[in-house]
Formats: sequence, C-alpha cells, structure tokens
Amino acid sequence: MKDVYIGVDVGSVSINVVAIDGSNELLYKYYSRTNGQPLEMIKHGLNSLKNEVGSDINVLGVGTTGSGRQLAGVMIGADIVKNEITAHAVATTNEHPDVHTIFEIGGQDSKIIVIKDQMVVDFAMNTVCAAGTGSFLDHQSERLKVPIEQFGDLALTSDVNVRIAGRCTVFAESDMIAKQQYGFSKPDIIMGLCRALVRNYINNLGRGKKLNPPYVFQGGVAANKGIIKAFQEEVKSAVFVPKHFNVMGAIGAAILSKEYIEKNDVKTKFRGFSSLKTNFVPSSFTCNGCSNNCEVIKVESNGQIIAMWGDRCGKWSQSVCYVG
Amino acid sequence: MKIGIPRALLYHYYGVFWEEFFKELGHEVIVSPHSNKEIVDTGIKSAVPEICVPIKIFLGHLKYLIYEKNVDYAFVPRMISIHKGEIFCPKFMGLPDLVKNGSPEISDRILTTYIESKTENISNYKNYISLSDKLNANEEDIKRASRKANIKWLEFRRNTLRGIPADKAAEMVKKNTVYKKNNSNNIKIAVVGYVYNVYDPFLSMDILDKLHDLNVDYMTFEMLDNKTIFSQISHLKKRLFWTFSNKLLGAGYYSLKNHNIDGLIHLTAFGCGPDSFLGKLFEIESDIRQKPFMTIRIDEHTGENHLQTRIEAFVDMLKRKKEKESA
Repeated sequence: MKDVYIGVDVGSVSINVVAIDGSNELLYKYYSRTNGQPLEMIKHGLNSLKNEVGSDINVLGVGTTGSGRQLAGVMIGADIVKNEITAHAVATTNEHPDVHTIFEIGGQDSKIIVIKDQMVVDFAMNTVCAAGTGSFLDHQSERLKVPIEQFGDLALTSDVNVRIAGRCTVFAESDMIAKQQYGFSKPDIIMGLCRALVRNYINNLGRGKKLNPPYVFQGGVAANKGIIKAFQEEVKSAVFVPKHFNVMGAIGAAILSKEYIEKNDVKTKFRGFSSLKTNFVPSSFTCNGCSNNCEVIKVESNGQIIAMWGDRCGKWSQSVCYVG
Repeated sequence: MKIGIPRALLYHYYGVFWEEFFKELGHEVIVSPHSNKEIVDTGIKSAVPEICVPIKIFLGHLKYLIYEKNVDYAFVPRMISIHKGEIFCPKFMGLPDLVKNGSPEISDRILTTYIESKTENISNYKNYISLSDKLNANEEDIKRASRKANIKWLEFRRNTLRGIPADKAAEMVKKNTVYKKNNSNNIKIAVVGYVYNVYDPFLSMDILDKLHDLNVDYMTFEMLDNKTIFSQISHLKKRLFWTFSNKLLGAGYYSLKNHNIDGLIHLTAFGCGPDSFLGKLFEIESDIRQKPFMTIRIDEHTGENHLQTRIEAFVDMLKRKKEKESA
C-alpha cells in the first residue's frame, strides 16, 4: 500500500490535482484547463491519479485550494480547505526554504508573497483587474494568432525593445495595434507584452513592498519564457521557476492536509475514488428572503442537498446538516 | 412629526445622540435599515459616478426614508469640525448641498444644521438651535434635548472605550441589552476604518464577524480613548486635516507598536482622498515596526469571495507565525 496525500487546486482557468507521499515528494500531477466544466475535470484528474499511481494507494488526507475550493472540498471530502496564498507559500518554502519573494501568476489571479524564515510576512493579490494575469496574455495570443504555448520561445527571439502600455488590457491592445502598424515584428511585440505584464504586476502588487531575492516565479504563466526573462530584467536578479510550477497550489494543499492530519491525529474525510461516480449537481438560485437577493449555490447528490453557500445571513448555509 | 435618520455616514458614531435628541422633542424617529442591495442601487443611481461609495449609500438611505417611509424630514447634518483647527472631508461639509443639488425634488424634506465643535462632543445646543422652527421647539426645549441626548451618547462612548464595537455599543444604550465581549483568542487584529465603512454590513461584508468566525479578536479605533490616540501622532510635524482620519492614524500607529496586536487591516473605500494619506503612512510605519499590514479596498461591487480569501490568508499568516514562534 502506498500512502498518499492529495491536493486539488480549482482555479479559474485550470484544475490541478497532485499526490504526494509522506515526505512531500510528488508522485503524480495533473494539470488541465477547466474547459468550463470544473467538476468533470476534477473527477477526471482524480481518476487518472488512481490509474497512474496504482490501485493499491491509501489516501491519508485531502486538501483543496483555489477559487473553487469549497465546491471541490465538498465533492471530494477534503480534510482542509485553504486559501491560495497559504497553499502556494507552503509549497514553495518546501522546495526553496530560503525563498524571500514569490511571484505567482495564474489565469485571473496574481499574487506577490513575501516570505521571511519560511513564513508569510506580507502578501498582495490583484483586485478586480486581470491586466497582469494569464488572461491578458491569452487574449493577446488570440489577437496575434500565435498559440500561447509558442509565446515564450518566440519572445526570446526578439531583439528590439518595444514599449507597450501595460496598465490596462484595453489600452495595451490599442497600443499593440499601433506598434503592429509601425511594423514591429511579432516576436518584438510579444516580448513587449511580456514586459508590460511584468511592469504592471510589479507596479500594482509590489507597491510599497521590499522585494528581496531569492525570487521564485510560479503559476501557469511561469511556463512562458518571455515572462521569466522580463522578470529577471525587472528585478535584476535570477528568478527560479520550481519544477512543478503550474501545480504549486495543489502541492501546498496536499502538504497542508498532511500537516493537519498528523497534527490532529484524525482520519481523512476523503469520500474515496468510488464516490467519484456519484453525480454532483451544483445549481444556484436567488434568495428573495430580503432585498440583498443573494445568489445561493446549492450542491446536490442523489437528490440530497449536501452543501449550500453564498448567502450573507447563513439562512441556507446553516440549514445543511449533511455529514459526509 | 416623523423624522428619518439615514443609517449611513456618521449615524454609526452619533446616531445615539441624534435619535434621542429628536425623540426628546416629541418626534417619531425612523432609522433606515441596514444597507441592502436595493438601498445601495438607489444610492448609486442618485449620485455622480465618481463619488465614494459611502456617500452613494447615504443617498440611498435618504431616498428610502423619504419615499418608502414617508418621513416629514430626513436629517442631513452639515459636519464642519469636531476638533479645533481640523475639518471634515468636503463631502461631509457640503452634504446638504450635494443632496439639494443632486435631488432638488426632495430639498424641502431635508433637515439640516451646522455642526461645529471644539471636541468630538457635539452636544452644544447651539449646533441645533437653527432647527427650532421646523421642529416646533423653543430654545429651552433644544437645550434640554441636547442635554438628554448627550447623556446617552456619553454612555455609548463609555461602552466603546470598554472595547465594545460601535454598533453593539449603540444597541446597548438604545435597547438596554448586554453585550459580553469574549476576548479569548490568541490572535488580535486591529481593523482601522471609518465607522460608516466598518459598520455597514454591505460595505464591509461583516468583516468583524468574519474575523470572529476565524477565532480572532479585533480592535477598532473607537475602543481607544482620544488621549491615547492623539499621543500616537503628537510627533508628527503636522496632523492631517480630518479628525476621524487622525483618529484612524493614531489607532493604526498604536496597534503597530502594541505587542498584543498581531496585525493591522486598513479598510478603505475606493477613491477616498484622506485615506490615500493614511494608507501610505501605515505602509511606512508597518515596515518600520515589522508588523503585517493589509489594505482592504471596498466599493459597490466588491466580491465577497475575494474579501474572504484575503482575510483568511492574513489570519493564516498570523496564526502560523505565532505557532512557529511558540514552538
């Protein structure tokens, strides 16, 4: 029997599932775009985990993180449901104990985490604007008709410094069109976009923070070599990219579940792989109990309501007494 | 007469006084309910888009009182000063004008007066004497009502100084309820923000309750006495222009120095001018004091998930730090 801890990160753009062993070594990782159906992708991820790692695995703990952590937690039976900041920081300090600054750029979220003695001492997250995130690049890749996977390599061939406004996607786009009309090449424009993203990110999130090396850059966007280069230019220092940069949140969630299980000496709430066949039906409705008109999310399984949230007053979320 | 008081802006600090004042003069007082989507939407529609969200919310409450509750008058004070040499943000000083010009159709339903005081005690009857005609009261009545209202307000302040948050402190005075503060957690966070942001459940998304649910104790500025607060900023070459901003600054500095407080959260409304100074000053001071500091910026469409994630991450950071230190 192989003892494992599972971590699941349900982000806005991707779903990541990992399994680690008792010494935090990665046994399996799964990275997939949500394709608009997060629940299906979580099931798919867990099923392939079981198939890859072998059926003789013994799941000791499960942790979820990311913007969809609650739903995923209910569905899988997570022992711990953690915010992304903590999860990312835990995973990074596990791999780079001396890290001081973590840059994390995901699909619609970006963060800077400042670490001292392996502890989070400061952090910042982007607010409503997604200008400095992966969606920004996704959008431009569509416009330039260059697949996002080729962005990085193409950017590295650039030899001209094109300055593109990175404050806002709308302006960046018009600026980019202008630069195209001036006749700059695609690689130059792509590298310009990478620099714009990094500039915007550091200006927004790094404001007032002392960012010291060693730097670690992770999140899905760390696949892009152009961005790595732009970061290194910006901070004038080496920027490390962890081996499993795109599943760090999930690794963190798995490590946290291990910490939790060991510390409290409890058994996992994991529903088991067989439960993945169960259908989970999420739906939402508008509560008309008062004029707040909260959008309440409801998850049903076999006709039974197993979780509800989204209400401000707790009328619905506290009405569920399902024990998994 | 039916007199409405919007549950917005400085109601959260002076509401106890104003309610008692009008009641003592024999009027029925109607306070609008806690902000909800409908009130907020009305406010947004009634205001220019650039203005800060607390003002928008005030307008929503005002219209609710006039159109839904049919009050004869709604109280819109002109707050000038509550400290010698300091003033209020121009939106407070011009609030009645803002209402009258933005919504001329309700201008004859507005009850307004200049409130100008050397201290935060605004009970001097002269502040209210201009209301006597509309309220059918003579000078003696106004004096008596101010005196009675002041007794209640002082009780409210005594409660807050005992560490009770302003909303609960006011309820205790009005409804004679008992509130037991349960300070038993090992993490304590200072939440520094204007009363109309912190105690508006729609704006702050009940940040204090959220902290409570995470087993965290909190401190707010009104729990500190003025002497303590102002001594924190006495070294400044120049104080800020705005009294409540100075109070927040003093409370923030206090919490950054105090070893019993683990971190500071600055709750601020998007576009607040005075807070742009505060935010920077906190940023500098927290760096010097090496204490975690986080800004939570709120506006009319803040997502609750986002706020929850930030608060959770901040609390986690403090808890893990403490666990490690004690290990």
